[in-house]
Amino acid sequence: MFLAVLTPKDSPEVSLDATLVNRLLQRDVSAFEQLYDRHSRIVYALVLRILQQASTAEEVVQDVFLQLWRNAARYQAARGPFVPWLLTLARNRALDHLRLKSERQRRLEDQSEEPIAIAGAPPEYEKALDEKRRAERVRALIGALNPQQKKAIEMAYFEGLSHTEIAEALKEPLGTVKSWIRNGLLRLKEGLQAPS
Amino acid sequence: MSDHDQFRELIEAYALGALDEQDRAALEAHLATGCAECSNALQEARWLASQLAYLAPPAEPSDMLRARLLQKVRTEASTAKSSASSRGSVPYWLWAGAAALLVVTFYSTWNARRLQMEIEAVNERAAAELRQRQQLQQQLDAAKHQAHILMDPTSKKFPMWPHDTQMPRLEATWHPEMGIFVTGEKIPMPGSHRVLQLWLIPKAPGGKPMPSRTFWPDAQGKVVVMVDNPPEVMAETKALAITEEPAGGSLQPTSTPMWVGGVS
Repeated sequence: MFLAVLTPKDSPEVSLDATLVNRLLQRDVSAFEQLYDRHSRIVYALVLRILQQASTAEEVVQDVFLQLWRNAARYQAARGPFVPWLLTLARNRALDHLRLKSERQRRLEDQSEEPIAIAGAPPEYEKALDEKRRAERVRALIGALNPQQKKAIEMAYFEGLSHTEIAEALKEPLGTVKSWIRNGLLRLKEGLQAPS
Repeated sequence: MSDHDQFRELIEAYALGALDEQDRAALEAHLATGCAECSNALQEARWLASQLAYLAPPAEPSDMLRARLLQKVRTEASTAKSSASSRGSVPYWLWAGAAALLVVTFYSTWNARRLQMEIEAVNERAAAELRQRQQLQQQLDAAKHQAHILMDPTSKKFPMWPHDTQMPRLEATWHPEMGIFVTGEKIPMPGSHRVLQLWLIPKAPGGKPMPSRTFWPDAQGKVVVMVDNPPEVMAETKALAITEEPAGGSLQPTSTPMWVGGVS
């Protein structure tokens, strides 16, 4: 019931992804090729943003897609659309690559153990926007936040930093940083929820 | 504020991986109690966090990565097939019985197999034709889009002058809504593992060049670059520039611009 409420009605794009991933289980190379062509740009852009180095980013993107090819069964369409799952996998891989052995690393490694569980399900307002429109809306909504708030969210997402680490880096009170991040994400949610 | 409300406020940061150890442990303990409201909120927050990936500046992986990856995948697929067929081998004495059975059933199955192959062949042809039609449609759409940009009176056209006077100049056309179109001929191929990259130079003092498309000339030295969705608006851009960069492109220019064209 819960998933039925949270999972959007299948758009053609979402259905196509699920079909292609299913074909990977039969070792269908052309399905892999299509999935790569459909999503490699956003995956590469994300990983490059995190690692800031093109050759390392390509290594990680290769790793992500090989993992998809070898462990396609770990994606379960019933638990949410494919792209957020793939992006979560790519982010975790890139952050793992970025980190040295530290407390911060341990925290994120724990999260990366089970990509299926952390993919997340979209709320019912999700309208399966195409990639270009989705990028425009997310950029506009986050760009409308105050610059420090935007910076805090980017540091959490792209650098994997904790509240305390962000507060120290920005020289702001911890409570302020916590509010910025939460309120920023809630603004993003409200913006995506609003009619386009 | 109840304990539950306190935990509810941690969900978004938890989905981002930004909680400090103490908050994280407390929230995980609360989730372990089976709180349905917080579990539902976490699912949604994780999806929301994944949308932040779209804040990353657009970038394209190199063609070499695609080729390398597909080669690996094809190799693994063919290895898996041969390994599956070897797992299916049977002791020699069973082959005699199997061969006898095959003789008996061969004639009836042959027809079914032939029919199946014909269906597969028809399906493959249909799929190939569909792919070809989609490719043609995409080319047609791109050509229409480019023609529209070139013909529209609101487009701004400007030359991109080469740093090296022996090199040909490029022509750029920028439509305020439909994007940027850059063309040129007799452009030399960049060095091995190198690529040409377009940059948008902002007007704002101290503004960093904004990375855009990477590209190569074709075999005849012709360049056609289309940027559908430039990250900067024309009024905020001083110039376009093209540099040579390592394959895969760069986030900041690493060489002197080979071509520069003033937007306004």
